[in-house]
Amino acid sequence: MSTRARPQGLRLRHVCQPTCHQRRYLNHFISKEAHTPIADTSPTAADTSPVSDVPPSTFTLAVKDNIATTSFPTTCASPFLANYRSPYEATIVSQLRARGARLVGTTNMDEFGMGSHSTHSVFGRVAQDPEGDIPAPADTSSLLSAGGSSGGSAVAVARGEADLALGTDTGGSVRLPAAYCSVVGFKPSYGMISRFGVVPYANSLDTVGFLAREVGRIRNLIVGDGSRPGLWTEHDPRDPTSLSSAARIRCADSREGYNSNTAGDSKRPADLLRGLRVGIPLEYNISELDPGIRESWARVAAMLQSSVGVRAVPVSLPTTRHALAAYYVIAPAEASSNLAKYDGIRYGARATTTITTEDGNTTTASDASEGGVLYAASRAAGFGAEVKRRILLGAYTLSAAAMDNYFLQAQRVRRLVRRDFDRVFALANPLHDGDKDQQQEEQQFDLSDLDERIPMADKRGPEEEVDFLLCPTAPTPPPMLGEVMEKEKNPVEAYMNDVFTVPASLAGLPAVSVPVSVQGGGTGRRGAAGLQLIGQYWDDARLLGVAEALVEVLREEGMGR
Amino acid sequence: MSRISTAQLAKYLLTGSITHRGCLHARFRMAATNRGFANDARVQRTTPTIPAVPFRKQLKDQNKADKASGNKRKKNVDNQTVPGWELTVGIEIHAQLNTNHKFFSPAATSFQDSPNRHVALFDLAVPGSQPLFQSETLIPAVRAAIALGCDIQTVSRFDRKHYFHWDQPSGYQITQYYHPFARDGRVSLYPRDGIAPADGDRVDIEIERVQLEQDTAKTTAIAGNVHWLDFNRVGVPLIEIITKPQIHHPATAAALVRKVQMLLAAVDACIFGMEAGGLRADVNVSVRRAGGAASPRTPLGTRTEIKNLSSFKAVEDAIIAERDRQIAILEAGGIVEGETRGWSLGSTETRRLRGKEGEVDYRYMPDPDLGPLVIADDLVARLADSMGILPDQEIDDLVGSYGLSTKDAMSLLTLDDGARVQYFYNVLDALEERLGLSHDASPASDQRHAQLAANWCLHELGKLTELSSDLAMTPDGECRVPSIDLAAILAHLHGRDITAKVAKELLWGVFRGEIPSGGVTQAIESNGLWFHELSEGEYADLADRVIQGEDKVLSEFLRFKQGKAKAYPQGKLMFLVGKMMRAGVEQRMDPSSAEKVMRARLESVYLPALEAS
Repeated sequence: MSTRARPQGLRLRHVCQPTCHQRRYLNHFISKEAHTPIADTSPTAADTSPVSDVPPSTFTLAVKDNIATTSFPTTCASPFLANYRSPYEATIVSQLRARGARLVGTTNMDEFGMGSHSTHSVFGRVAQDPEGDIPAPADTSSLLSAGGSSGGSAVAVARGEADLALGTDTGGSVRLPAAYCSVVGFKPSYGMISRFGVVPYANSLDTVGFLAREVGRIRNLIVGDGSRPGLWTEHDPRDPTSLSSAARIRCADSREGYNSNTAGDSKRPADLLRGLRVGIPLEYNISELDPGIRESWARVAAMLQSSVGVRAVPVSLPTTRHALAAYYVIAPAEASSNLAKYDGIRYGARATTTITTEDGNTTTASDASEGGVLYAASRAAGFGAEVKRRILLGAYTLSAAAMDNYFLQAQRVRRLVRRDFDRVFALANPLHDGDKDQQQEEQQFDLSDLDERIPMADKRGPEEEVDFLLCPTAPTPPPMLGEVMEKEKNPVEAYMNDVFTVPASLAGLPAVSVPVSVQGGGTGRRGAAGLQLIGQYWDDARLLGVAEALVEVLREEGMGR
Repeated sequence: MSRISTAQLAKYLLTGSITHRGCLHARFRMAATNRGFANDARVQRTTPTIPAVPFRKQLKDQNKADKASGNKRKKNVDNQTVPGWELTVGIEIHAQLNTNHKFFSPAATSFQDSPNRHVALFDLAVPGSQPLFQSETLIPAVRAAIALGCDIQTVSRFDRKHYFHWDQPSGYQITQYYHPFARDGRVSLYPRDGIAPADGDRVDIEIERVQLEQDTAKTTAIAGNVHWLDFNRVGVPLIEIITKPQIHHPATAAALVRKVQMLLAAVDACIFGMEAGGLRADVNVSVRRAGGAASPRTPLGTRTEIKNLSSFKAVEDAIIAERDRQIAILEAGGIVEGETRGWSLGSTETRRLRGKEGEVDYRYMPDPDLGPLVIADDLVARLADSMGILPDQEIDDLVGSYGLSTKDAMSLLTLDDGARVQYFYNVLDALEERLGLSHDASPASDQRHAQLAANWCLHELGKLTELSSDLAMTPDGECRVPSIDLAAILAHLHGRDITAKVAKELLWGVFRGEIPSGGVTQAIESNGLWFHELSEGEYADLADRVIQGEDKVLSEFLRFKQGKAKAYPQGKLMFLVGKMMRAGVEQRMDPSSAEKVMRARLESVYLPALEAS
């Protein structure tokens, strides 16, 4: 359909409609198709263009509202873009339409992807309802957080309103809501999925992420399902960070699972897992970890070892303790740069506040073109509190006085984090030269760079290298929204939720969160948690195959969701 | 002299396609093959549409204003040094690279089209759009860096420089702050470049770095505090050339900027003359006490930066004004503030724009979407080989081989952004073909035809545009007077088939389109303009006729011959020649022939007779 002719059947969610009212307390969509007829095969008149080569739809798709679609506005849940319609569509949306996706709406989120509970939205906070259809309570503060920033996408998938939802994962924004909402959340290797049309938060960390109820749906899209080639094959010339076709093939040649779709189909799940070495990162056992989640993690590891023949290997990722701090320097720095364009000139409303200058004169801000007052007023009015906080943080860490102590240090930590991973994985990182041994050798020279408190044994890496890492996705079960709002008085505390997801983001590695049951005890609330599998770079196909098998085994063992 | 256009070279290096017939190096074939690019955006753009008149008028008005106000300033020539003080200047020059596409988007770089026609998603910073480096940008950029004698860096990187302005839709400019693509260059300046006499026979100015960056949108102020923005220019690639603070005289600073422009034009790296706004300079100025206690180790004084100077004259004037301002402050016991200042043409003082406390922290950050820029040695080597010779050597050639004056040689090289000299070569080539001469003439051979061609390419051609019409000179050296037609006129003039007066009329005829291309000879024929010169005898008869009754004049010649007068009475001779011209049929006479005959008659007939009497 053309960018101009929007079918009459679509209307904006935030133009409030009675049909949406019942669900309003969940608030997971920003724009939505009004009333969806059952039959996908009866499109509106506008859709019956003969030139259309779009295949008949085979699944429903919800798209996080920071990924450009031509069907709906692309608001990023920000006041600045509340009425913004993109003149073009993101590559990933077109790729999915070509694979039979029918777009059902765009989902609510934290403004520009900044937040861990989907509460920082100009369209209001998102909530989840794990028990199914319950009547809207008078006091919504007892509802559970859906996680963030892709909370709306996770809820849409959990409720069955979409088979697949797109999110963006910068430091865990897909995996965290997947864990909270008990669905599958996948963050691919950096550079695999095109970011063209994804409104950037922090370009060097941003990835398009996928949410679904089953791993298989995601795996078929990434690896290919026989009818369409996998997304991993498709280089996008419009995204300079999209891996070239040659590099994709070179990376895939050193990996399993890309050449055929045998990974999960031909073998029984237990057979697929047998003999795998799974690393248990010791540094992830932090004091803030919820006891129930810690217990689930240990129980799954023990079960895999005893009943499936997986070897659980304790490994050390010594830089983990600095990863969160590095992330919260790098991401805000890039964000402060990316968001500089929202100034009320080209995007967003021009603020026209009358302000009083130091010498007592009053002036209208929109006319005060000298001295940057024009931009300051618009930006003060146009951004939410969390976005402003991160812009200020980023602007500070990039300032000439702070650059060396913050931004550059954080980049060093980032390299160390990646080296931590490279040391524990059996596979070499294909983005570096040489095979695993050569890479290892080069790394020996850097041992002295490491924190001297780290025991020597941990510096050398584990005795046995591993295929994947297994750890919790989030340190706690989903909190109640009331708690979240309360904690916002101390915003940095919320950053703690990203502690397990950030390292893979810093290293650009693929990671998937699958639901696991949490037994009573602990906080005892609703028993939802996510377990995260992290793989070496471009090992996405095997990672998804293993995750699919893990979900199956958990179900068999009565530990799934 | 073999100069390959950037567009052609980019096609060859990046896509492997050769649009030529024949050899890439063929100097004189360039003209023919280049016409294929007539529809290129680049060619349209480089067609000068901004007549030189407004700028000249500006200068005239300025002079008038100076005279009226009665404070005619000291001439710059006499104002290069201030006793007891040493001036130090560093310069940053911005120039637009000659490319068909923008730096990070495939949109065309065309400034002639109506506003906002060539704008890609990324140029407007549309959310979710990303930069796409256009590798063709490297061709002119690397050429420029080689011409400036720089080391090309194998790996360079892109950084974001943040500041808010409406002409910058993304809120930052992509530049190369931490790792520029070229470093450690050198530009040599000679007296002919216009350096201050105190700098002697040669001064070398080091180039610290050359970096790539994006241009901004063009703002047009409209009445009522309204600004119009044209995003055709946003994202166009620029280079910024930064010299070390090694310049000590205002004239030398202007000479450097002029020389850099000449070098960039010579290698076809940049577009627009500086006067048209394609090249902008910022200067850093400081002064310190000279001699006596001062040693080279004495730190430089506090510097101020004067931004956005758009002409050579502005560079020199602004430096003089700022130097004098700083000296006056220091002599009065004050302190020079590190600040940014502005300059408007014709003013006598720089003005403060913002002080140190108002300084912007640009928060430079490596661009996370753009990988490092890797420039392989083979590309650099290929570009260095294909660049042709640089202006200094070309001037030496023009002076040495063709016997042109240094001034004329430099004028040929600088006019029309270097296209005039290409035109000269085209004319010379066609002229030599007509005259049956080979063009690899030795310095000893007769080069009068070359001097004739140079003279007409500069001075007679220049007269055509005095009434503000446009020559429409293209980069490959063609204009409204096709080179073959000027060559035809000059061939006839050189062979004395027509008079200079007729030649000039023919030139106007071609310029106005009254004589079609290739129709010069036909026009001479049909209008009966051939020069049927008087015979020597007829000249002699005329001479004899006009000498009658000029005994007093003849006595002057005798005084010279007898050594009573020091100088030959040339004026008297010309008086007699003038009489000859009036007495005869002008269309059939050449003043130089008349002069020759008259002089011969005086020597051989009249003076001996007078002596004898």
